[in-house]
Amino acid sequence: MLDLFAGLGAATLSALQRTGRGFIFLLRTLAGVPLLLARPGLLVKELFSTGVQSLLIILVSGLFVGMVLGLQGYVTLSKFGAEESLGVMVALSLVRELGPVVTALLFAGRAGSALTAEIGLMKSTEQLSGMEMMAVDPIHRVIAPRLTAGFIAMPILAALFSAVGILGGYLVGVGLLGVDAGSFMSQMQAGVDWRIDVLNGVIKSIAFGFVVTWIAVFEGYDAVPTSEGVSQATTRTVVHSALAVLALDFVLTGLMFT
Amino acid sequence: MRYGQLREPAFGVARSVQYAPQTLRKVTGCPLPTMAPYAAMDETHISIEQVSFSRGDRLIFDGISMEIPRGRITAIMGPSGTGKTTLLRLIGGQLVPDSGRVLVNGLEVASLSRRRLYELRKRMGMLFQSGALLTDLSVFENVAFPLREHSRMPEDMIRDMVLMKLQAVGLRGATELMPAELSGGMARRVALARSIVLDPEMIMYDEPFTGLDPITMGTIVTLIKRLNRALGITSLLVSHDVEETLSIADHVILISAGKVVEAGLPAELAASASPWVQQFIQGLPDGPVPFHYPAPDPLEQFLGGDHA
Ligand SMILES: Nc1ncnc2c1ncn2[C@@H]1O[C@H](COP(=O)(O)OP(=O)(O)OP(=O)(O)O)[C@@H](O)[C@H]1O
Ligand SMILES: [Mg+2]
Repeated sequence: MLDLFAGLGAATLSALQRTGRGFIFLLRTLAGVPLLLARPGLLVKELFSTGVQSLLIILVSGLFVGMVLGLQGYVTLSKFGAEESLGVMVALSLVRELGPVVTALLFAGRAGSALTAEIGLMKSTEQLSGMEMMAVDPIHRVIAPRLTAGFIAMPILAALFSAVGILGGYLVGVGLLGVDAGSFMSQMQAGVDWRIDVLNGVIKSIAFGFVVTWIAVFEGYDAVPTSEGVSQATTRTVVHSALAVLALDFVLTGLMFT
Repeated sequence: MRYGQLREPAFGVARSVQYAPQTLRKVTGCPLPTMAPYAAMDETHISIEQVSFSRGDRLIFDGISMEIPRGRITAIMGPSGTGKTTLLRLIGGQLVPDSGRVLVNGLEVASLSRRRLYELRKRMGMLFQSGALLTDLSVFENVAFPLREHSRMPEDMIRDMVLMKLQAVGLRGATELMPAELSGGMARRVALARSIVLDPEMIMYDEPFTGLDPITMGTIVTLIKRLNRALGITSLLVSHDVEETLSIADHVILISAGKVVEAGLPAELAASASPWVQQFIQGLPDGPVPFHYPAPDPLEQFLGGDHA
């Protein structure tokens, strides 16, 4: 029994320590972000590897999610004779929730895990420590561009996800199930509010992008520098990102839409 | 580093190979001509004062002290796992001693601010045991890395500098290769080129000779010597290759079990009466130096505790 409490205490302490390290790490990274202005090349390179390489999976998933929404929405709405509202339903679901959330989850799996593995391996092969000895701060040179790139890429990816999703909903609703194209579009335009829906969705995706990338780079930087340590860190990135995104979504939704 | 400050690298590349055989000469019984002018040790560059350091429960240094003179080649030798790499990391400020002080140019490394520490490191080259090349950059970009980070040299100038250093290690033809495409010895040579590209005032070589063929080894030995003799770079050489090391070192420090066991000129060491030193230099398996990492009684461990 005493062991249980001792174990619990130790686990809590180490979790708190990690959180503390995570925040200090974040502050040091943010301090390095302004330096990127002088070297935009670094950022572009990372934008390519985090953003562009996640593009395909985001677009394909967005299309399928939109198509499923079209099908499901049609079945439900047609019970009430409200098929014309399919456009607004699909668009609101995507812009408010599914766009930011699903994109963040996919982003964590695709880009986040890759970031953790890359940084963890750089650590375990002494590349980070080599940089330090060359008087180059790895937090500024390696971490800051990656964090910034994730931060920029996520909202763009989420917007693309929503756009492609709406296209998918349109294809299924209008093309397949015969909903009137004009009313699909006009209801959607009338029902989606720029500030309440779109802007809040964008804020969500920025917050998720920030959290996911932060977790990913921190896990990599803090990884135990062995193959086992790096693989565990990669797993943790995906799990912690998913939990953080879902919990944060609940909080943000509560603040924004109630 | 500004344009005007560049020191012309003095190691003429074409000449480096012809010195190789000389360095492979037997150390014992042969007085070294290089020793005489350097016998007097002058100003201290790095000094280690009563440093203790432990990893977990294992005490690696127990109040170790040594002085490393400026502009000389100092060799640090000792059995595997005694903490030679750890010592270099303490000097580079990547590890902080539990007690005692590490001074470089009279500054205590552990107490420097990050900015001052980085200023100091720009003048310190370090060759990592593993090479530590950046795997996402080509050989050329790896060597150019410190220049790009710390100077605003024009591109053609960077190119010349990098090619010159790569030529010195015999890899000018390998510029486009990625680190994954290099052999271990090649990677070490690229890392060596990178560590000298900023023309530092001191270089720490962690096992520069392992995994090199005899010809390359001779070239690298000569290169290290030339960097030191021509440019006066303080060189700290960690190596197990007794013969090569003793042939170029001005001063040798043997460490074991967290202490300095013996220090002196190579010839003094070779002539030392200490059985420990003789065992190490001659590579004898039996003697006062334990070959094994501290372990329980073998009988007990092999047979299981209850049989003991
Ligand atoms: N990251 C670490 N964590 C814990 N212990 C370590 C770590 N790195 C090294 N050690 C321990 O410190 C001791 C000294 O290691 P170090 O790498 O300095 O040895 P070395 O003298 O360079 O050996 P070699 O000649 O084999 O390179 C070893 O006993 C090792 O077990
Ligand atoms: Mg070592």
